[in-house]
Amino acid sequence: MSGLLFSTHLGDQMTLMALKSAAAGAVALAFGGAPLGVLMIARRLSLMGDALSHGILPGVAIAFIFAGRDPVALTVGALTAGLIVAGLSSLLARTGKLPDDAAFAIFYLSALALGVLLLGKMGKADEMEALLFGSTQALDASGLVLAGAAASATLIGLALFLRGVLGEGADPVFMRTLGARFGLSHLLLMLLLALNLVAGFRAFGALMTVALMTIPAAAARFWAKGYGGQAAWAVALSAVSGLIGLFLAALWGAEPGALMTVCAALLFGVSALVGTNGGLLQTRLAKTHLRGLKA
Amino acid sequence: MTRIRVESLSVGYDRHPAVVSLSGVFEPASLTAVVGPNGSGKSTLLKALAGHCKPLAGRIDLGGLKPSEIAYLPQAHGLDLKFPLTLEDLVSFGFIGQRGLFGGFAKVDRERLHGLMAQVGLEGLERRPIGSVSGGQLQRALFARVMAQDAKLVLLDEPFNGIDARAAEDLAQLMARWPEQGRTVIAVLHDLDLVRRLCPGSLVMARQAVAWGPTDQAISPEQLTRARKLAESWNVSDEPPADVVQHTEHV
Repeated sequence: MSGLLFSTHLGDQMTLMALKSAAAGAVALAFGGAPLGVLMIARRLSLMGDALSHGILPGVAIAFIFAGRDPVALTVGALTAGLIVAGLSSLLARTGKLPDDAAFAIFYLSALALGVLLLGKMGKADEMEALLFGSTQALDASGLVLAGAAASATLIGLALFLRGVLGEGADPVFMRTLGARFGLSHLLLMLLLALNLVAGFRAFGALMTVALMTIPAAAARFWAKGYGGQAAWAVALSAVSGLIGLFLAALWGAEPGALMTVCAALLFGVSALVGTNGGLLQTRLAKTHLRGLKA
Repeated sequence: MTRIRVESLSVGYDRHPAVVSLSGVFEPASLTAVVGPNGSGKSTLLKALAGHCKPLAGRIDLGGLKPSEIAYLPQAHGLDLKFPLTLEDLVSFGFIGQRGLFGGFAKVDRERLHGLMAQVGLEGLERRPIGSVSGGQLQRALFARVMAQDAKLVLLDEPFNGIDARAAEDLAQLMARWPEQGRTVIAVLHDLDLVRRLCPGSLVMARQAVAWGPTDQAISPEQLTRARKLAESWNVSDEPPADVVQHTEHV
């Protein structure tokens, strides 16, 4: 299980080729994942990505049973499991009987249990670990194509449906008055999330992928007010932390996914401190200013 | 032009009717104020017309209106004010019903959006986050969204409650002009002065219709007292179950 939590191959020095493709993958992930991260945070669903990253486990396990380390099979398996978990929990949440997070918890915990059972039955934990650790070496041509496709699908999907997605997030009651079909934008969001997660997990580890979606998105809140501005900041911050993290990982032979996440966390700290939209320094200055007025 | 007709309509929650055996017609392109004491079923009637709750009995004839042709502004907006959204974004949601989910920002919409913001007096505030404006400004934006929906039937539930007097007056004047544009407007209102000034028709409710017709006749002191007394009789018996329905049907 630790495989899902911490990413990568320790020790291996990255080849220049691998570094280049990992960098391209990280940038693609920034463009696809960060705009989604902003939406997830706005809807108070940032732990959902986390949950989904565990939900893909049974798909990966089943793919491994049938096709070994074949990258296409692993991706298809993960995507299928992710879509099933995302789809079923969205539908359950739509019934209004349960809040979104509870609906999600039911399916991802079940999926996680199923995945653990399958892994145990296989008795090939070692092989499995290499795959689940995530390895930047795994970002071969097909992995890059997938990462690019996930980013493109996300940007196109958001461009087409942005009004609906924002409406569903900010004012679900209003969206329901327009007709039931508008609730589908939530499903779209879940599907895009699953797609980006799958594109990132083999290279950077599933949880680290989620981190690169949500931490820069959280930092973006300290720089911009509207969705567009926050999404742009999130993409930039995610790409920068991804690239710096990768570079340092190559330099020190450390775990890329974890280093990228640490970079994102550091950038979050800087943003929270000096951000122009309610950063700590700004609010402190504003308070001193007010005190001056009072005196 | 759509005539909204209700026939022996009863609506309520958990089988407790809040609206009892209401029959009548909202004429096309009319403006009707719905007034009455608290708990007299005004909001419930609007919810039922908006399709948010099913009638317990009777029926509603919307004259073939689709959900996207009805604009409903509930008493408490369901907006998440922390959501990263500008006033302009909020108003643009009004276009979703006509454009569908694929509706990107057509140029026509952009121009209409600017026009609407100006009409509700929000020029220059288009990029302000929804969480950083006053209640009056937010209500102005919600009115602009109603206008963006270009709905044939507009349902407003106490739209001027809790906002500054200036915004209330501006928005009330806007509302009064909607029938000229072919819209049927039904608004739950408290301010009887405003009703007399701007609303040609009124429905006085106390779970049933106490009076329904031209405002100068419907809103008379006698009718209002009757409505209050009826409402008090409901409140004394607190939870009037099914026998109350029978009782009113005999009235």
